[in-house]
Amino acid sequence: MIGTRHPREEDLARLAGGDDGRVRSFLLGRHVRSCVECQDRVAEYQDLRQNLSEGDLPGVNWSFLAPEMRANIRLGLEAGACVRTTRVSTPWSLARSWAAALGPRAAVGFATLAVLVVSGFYVRDVRNRAVAIHAADSTPVLQNTSSGVVLRDGDASMMMLNSADAISQTVSARGEIGARVIDAGTVTITSGYLE
Amino acid sequence: MAGLTFGALLYAQETPLDTASSVKIDLPADAPLSLISTTMGDSRATSRGGAIVLDLHMGLTLRNSGFKHIRGVTLLITAQEFAPGGKGSVARPSIDVPPGENFTLPIDIRLVRPVRESSGPLVRVQLDGLLFDDLSFFGPNKLSSQRALTFWEVEAQRDRAYFKQALQARGESGLKQEMLASIAKQADRQQLDVSLTRNGRSTGAAVPATDHVAQFAFLNLPGAPVQPLEGWAAISGNEARSPRIEVVNNSGKPVRYVEIGWLVKDKQGREYLAGSVPGSETTMVLPSGQRAKLQQDTALKFSRGGRPIEIDGMTAYVSQVEFADGHVWVPSRHDLDSSPLLRITAPSPEEQRLADIYAKQGLAALVAELKRY
Repeated sequence: MIGTRHPREEDLARLAGGDDGRVRSFLLGRHVRSCVECQDRVAEYQDLRQNLSEGDLPGVNWSFLAPEMRANIRLGLEAGACVRTTRVSTPWSLARSWAAALGPRAAVGFATLAVLVVSGFYVRDVRNRAVAIHAADSTPVLQNTSSGVVLRDGDASMMMLNSADAISQTVSARGEIGARVIDAGTVTITSGYLE
Repeated sequence: MAGLTFGALLYAQETPLDTASSVKIDLPADAPLSLISTTMGDSRATSRGGAIVLDLHMGLTLRNSGFKHIRGVTLLITAQEFAPGGKGSVARPSIDVPPGENFTLPIDIRLVRPVRESSGPLVRVQLDGLLFDDLSFFGPNKLSSQRALTFWEVEAQRDRAYFKQALQARGESGLKQEMLASIAKQADRQQLDVSLTRNGRSTGAAVPATDHVAQFAFLNLPGAPVQPLEGWAAISGNEARSPRIEVVNNSGKPVRYVEIGWLVKDKQGREYLAGSVPGSETTMVLPSGQRAKLQQDTALKFSRGGRPIEIDGMTAYVSQVEFADGHVWVPSRHDLDSSPLLRITAPSPEEQRLADIYAKQGLAALVAELKRY
């Protein structure tokens, strides 16, 4: 089927990102190699991915948010566990009750959605664990952010928060960053230090 | 859905913090500064999954219990359990607190760490230094607060004298012009986002693997007692590492501290104040006519709005000198106006404070402030 008509857009996008398994990639690749139109689409997706990976989102410190993201993912998983243990005894009884209440089509739809959500959490948790391992291995980093000066050391961090928008900053190669804030006619300078 | 929400509420518990168990405030017994009260505002500890987030919003009310006017204060903040070796500070320069008067200092900190058992206070607050109106100092000075507070005070005296002179010579309209020029200069300054690591490459975004050693260009200020001779840093894309600058003491007095202002230029020719390269933390005494090398083994990575700033050139100038007798030198207003490049340097905290008074309270309030001392 793949060799005789164009694959779906999402299949081409996944192929461009190398997100498919070997068999699927082989089958899609066989069509794309013989189809100029699909080759162009795959090239466009590859360019798009390249552009997205090159540009950082402004004003967002992903490394700093990592612990919070991990915490929220765990929250979702544990909350899901609460629901499973208290309301249903087995997956089959859940499926039967859904099928009875919603009809077989809706039940299949919900079951698919549930699989997707759980997979999403699993994939993101794996990625965040990788970030945690990387962070734990890294050396302490001191940086200025819009909220203040933050010292990150593995999974822990200490941020000297600005009480208002910083009007200027000072950076010393000795290992010190300071942020100046003016509030009620007085200047406060908060600083972080690399030991 | 109700179960999910209930689970979420249980999981993201928030508890208010009390001062006694979470914060330890240490003021030396002989300090001319007394702690009057501490407020914790809406300080909270939030447990979220595998992490604990502490938001501390404290206000310390302190009293000048000595006999001199306080011109500046620095508090050392440590949270050893959260970021091992991590420390911060809160400084308040450009103040004039007479004996017996109170003032309040805010301390706002966010701490994040994996959940684990712990005992003892979460944060320790210590006095690091007090500077008085005669430039005498009190405190353990672990953060070299004496030097920082003294430089801020000398800059403040220079700038107050400059604006007072403008008022005296050209009247209120002259002072207004100076303030408008200062505000415009501050608005023109472009600031960089900087991440700093010790001993080698900073982590995060990819940088080209090819390092090259770039030399500093120097801007010599006519009145500077110390002159830079040569210097370089390893450059790799938006990262500069291990800056080294050789200086010579051209004054007739021994010098114990030098700091170099560091400007970088991007590929588009825009200039930014990157930071400073100070002398060694250990006591350095540079006799008259002698040379010394300032070097720091840190890596600085520059970006702006999330985009790396590719370094195309570097300029340096002498920004602070401390003599062995404790006197300090800072560039004069004339020095700072001598090069368009120095427009991008940060104004003193006092100039920023005076400009803020003018912008928010008007010219009359500024004139009254300049007449205070």
